[in-house]
Amino acid sequence: MRLSRRNFLKLVGAMGASAFLTTYKADIVKALEEVKDYWHICWLNGAACTGCTISFAQSADPDLFQILTEILVGNSGLPIALPDYMETIHVASGTLAEELKERWKNSKRAKILIVEGAVQNEGFCTIHGKDFRDHLKEAAEIADYIIAVGQCATFGGIPGAKPWDGEGNPTGAKGVQEFLYEVGINKTVINIPCCPANPDHIVVTLASLMLGVVPELDEHGRPKVFFGRNMHKELCPYRPYYDRGIFITKPGEEGCRFKMGCKGPICNTDCAIRKWNNGTSYCVETNMCIGCAEPGWPDKFSPFYSEVTELPKVLGFGAEKIGEGLLGATLLGIGIHAVRHLGSKKHKKEEE
Amino acid sequence: MAKVWVDPITRIEGHLGVTMETKEVDTGKMKIDVVDKAYSHTNLFRGIEIILRGRDPRDAFFITQRICGVCPAPHGEASIQALDQAFGVTPTPTAVLIRNILQAAYYIYDHLIHTYILVGPEIGIVCKYPPMVPPALGKEGVRKLGLGRSYVECIDIQRKANEIVALWGGKFPHHTSEYPGGVTVKPTRDRINLTLTKITEIWEWCADVALNDLMAIKERNEVLSERVSELLGIEHKGFATIGASWGNFLSYGLFPDPENYDDWVKAQEGEPSFRKSAVIHAGAWQNGELKPLERDKIVEYVKYSRYKDEISGKKPWEVEMTNDVVWKDKPNAYAWSKAPRYENKVHEVGPLARMLVTYGSKWKFEVENPINGRSVKVEWEVMNPKGSVIDRVASRVIQSLLFATKIMEWAVKLKEYANEYPIVNPKIPDYKFVPQEGEGWGLWDAPRGALLHYVRIKNRVIANYACVVPSTWNLGPRDDFGNPGPVEKALEGCWLPKNMSVPEVCNAIWPEKDVLGMKWGDALAKAISPLGLAEVNMEPSDGAKFNTSLALAVVRSFDPCIACGVHTIELKVRR
Repeated sequence: MRLSRRNFLKLVGAMGASAFLTTYKADIVKALEEVKDYWHICWLNGAACTGCTISFAQSADPDLFQILTEILVGNSGLPIALPDYMETIHVASGTLAEELKERWKNSKRAKILIVEGAVQNEGFCTIHGKDFRDHLKEAAEIADYIIAVGQCATFGGIPGAKPWDGEGNPTGAKGVQEFLYEVGINKTVINIPCCPANPDHIVVTLASLMLGVVPELDEHGRPKVFFGRNMHKELCPYRPYYDRGIFITKPGEEGCRFKMGCKGPICNTDCAIRKWNNGTSYCVETNMCIGCAEPGWPDKFSPFYSEVTELPKVLGFGAEKIGEGLLGATLLGIGIHAVRHLGSKKHKKEEE
Repeated sequence: MAKVWVDPITRIEGHLGVTMETKEVDTGKMKIDVVDKAYSHTNLFRGIEIILRGRDPRDAFFITQRICGVCPAPHGEASIQALDQAFGVTPTPTAVLIRNILQAAYYIYDHLIHTYILVGPEIGIVCKYPPMVPPALGKEGVRKLGLGRSYVECIDIQRKANEIVALWGGKFPHHTSEYPGGVTVKPTRDRINLTLTKITEIWEWCADVALNDLMAIKERNEVLSERVSELLGIEHKGFATIGASWGNFLSYGLFPDPENYDDWVKAQEGEPSFRKSAVIHAGAWQNGELKPLERDKIVEYVKYSRYKDEISGKKPWEVEMTNDVVWKDKPNAYAWSKAPRYENKVHEVGPLARMLVTYGSKWKFEVENPINGRSVKVEWEVMNPKGSVIDRVASRVIQSLLFATKIMEWAVKLKEYANEYPIVNPKIPDYKFVPQEGEGWGLWDAPRGALLHYVRIKNRVIANYACVVPSTWNLGPRDDFGNPGPVEKALEGCWLPKNMSVPEVCNAIWPEKDVLGMKWGDALAKAISPLGLAEVNMEPSDGAKFNTSLALAVVRSFDPCIACGVHTIELKVRR
């Protein structure tokens, strides 16, 4: 079946990057052969820790090398996608690196702009003597598609967090979409949050764009296919513990992580099924979810070791997006399950 | 004199530029341009320490990892060790082993990705060693010369090393599983066995490929030395000559012994310590003399940094990191990075410092694979006592193999420990516990070098947090006494071939027509020109073009990580 925006959700589902590319490789190559050019990528880093680049390099199947060298456009020898500019891995430095960025702007084939890192007030991040804000604005003006990867570029992330002693954020850091609106660029940014971005999310999004399909986005600009489900309610393998009222409160116990502060109930992401590092694991397996896929992170999810119901900042926030309903349901859920649990205990005792 | 400015420097973490002032030197055979003075510019400021103020101390473990996505694990470790001390607990032996395994696997990824993807390409090209040259430079070369063979395999191996990190930490970058007094992840049979499976492949690769590449580079460098000496008319030892800093090296140590944690915490408490029970020792190696590490000898200077002078020369934990200490328009300041010093002297930190402090200047040992009994001899004599590009690369390769061996030993031991000790110190009653007051120092060695996290807890929240990170040690500016930082010093004297492109330099050094029937430089030119890279590393200045390949190799040999320079802020370079 041909991929379209309409059936994107249904077709891609939980499909990994590898399955997606295998299914659509012929279509992608055909689409590119017609124009005899590759997809030109400009990967800009702002107030970033480069974790998303490193995460992208953990892409397993296909791995980074396969993406860049094996999936070729016809017999042109050119890969399907090539970063014309990418600070962390590019061969060229200095003047030539900047020239290559200019060349990206003039390429005839579709131009994809990938942004990693937050956008700050002027004077905090400079590349080749020019403020990152100007680099971003110029690139965004001509880009065909803009993808923000990671929590910083999507929603401001940790660089956009506030100290908890009452001071303001040191650099005025914010996400790319917010910045673009501020400078009058009315383009939609595809937001791929998480800290860092999951390489599978990046690869599948890139590949679907090559097929001319823009993934359907939620109200935060996130592809619904990855961020449309509540992790706790719909995906968590530890959910049965929750339902039985078995919670971890001390290190070393086994059970649902809710009471130690797991943010699964207020986090929409497919981490629990997609996992990380070639499907090895994800945060909840070794500790708990800290909510990095959501806007307002980290401040509204902090202190991390604090139960969702006790978060000082989430309650005021909960009404709009995270949803009072969910929070209410969670509270109610705990209430009911706790009662049931007590009930069953009592019942057992009576049996004895 | 010309001013050569390179910004951005790619294949490092973050935003970095350098300005190099050149001088002309007459060797008697020819006039060459070398770096006279260099200035390192770090171009990003986020203020993570300020953001941490007033938070639950345990949030610091998660938030400080986001200082750097290339080296998040060591930030997590330094943070958790500071928290251990502030909470008044030590990790259980089981937890020490788990932390060691997670961290050691992470170092293998970091050292290998740096060796092959970041610093390797220039070394491979100048040394004419195809396995380390990026394969993007030509398909025919891939087939016939083995071009990029190790480069490509490294992408696979570093990923597998990070799968071990994810097994114990949930994911990489940014793991989740360390906690004051221990870890939150359980040592299941499954995790231990999978670790052993993955590390076996990695160990073999380090022993068979990485170590061989290092020896090959060393041999090629000997030929290179002869030819460059001949060409320039001076004695030049290639990658062993370039990149010398001050001869002072500092290490905080790595991988404590679970049976002797008392020895490890002495340094945190401020006592002089070598941390000799650890795999990598702590100490200061000052031009051949080894001294114990003393926490309180660490100070930071800011004469050339954009901060108020009143904080200069203070211990990092004596300064309250708030917006008040920032002085944005400070006259004569040329960097936002502070200049940390130990005993008021400039010290290089990083893999070479770790090896010198632990093994001295001659490293000779055997590592034995505890699973199959295979043993490999490691032998290296430091080629430049003040440090060099090749010595730093050698340190990373050898540590990768050493740490891979240790992971196996620890994983085997963990099978016994798992049933004996809990994962968190029993003094931690539950997940609600945070002490009312506390203070702690985490002293760890990130891949890039000595890393300090300091936390002070008051009323159960963070009252002050300070990080002194490796890239401020290595890439910081001049101090109050005018001494240039390690990278600034290491660039001095580096040859910047004038109006000679990368292929031309390669042709001059390797004139044989033995690469697909061409000279090495011509073959390279043929491959890189269609990609628009014919002028790679050529920087215009003063009406000429300067080849910055060797200078970039010097900068990259320190594995710069600019995001780590959390104090640093933008500096507009005035040309």
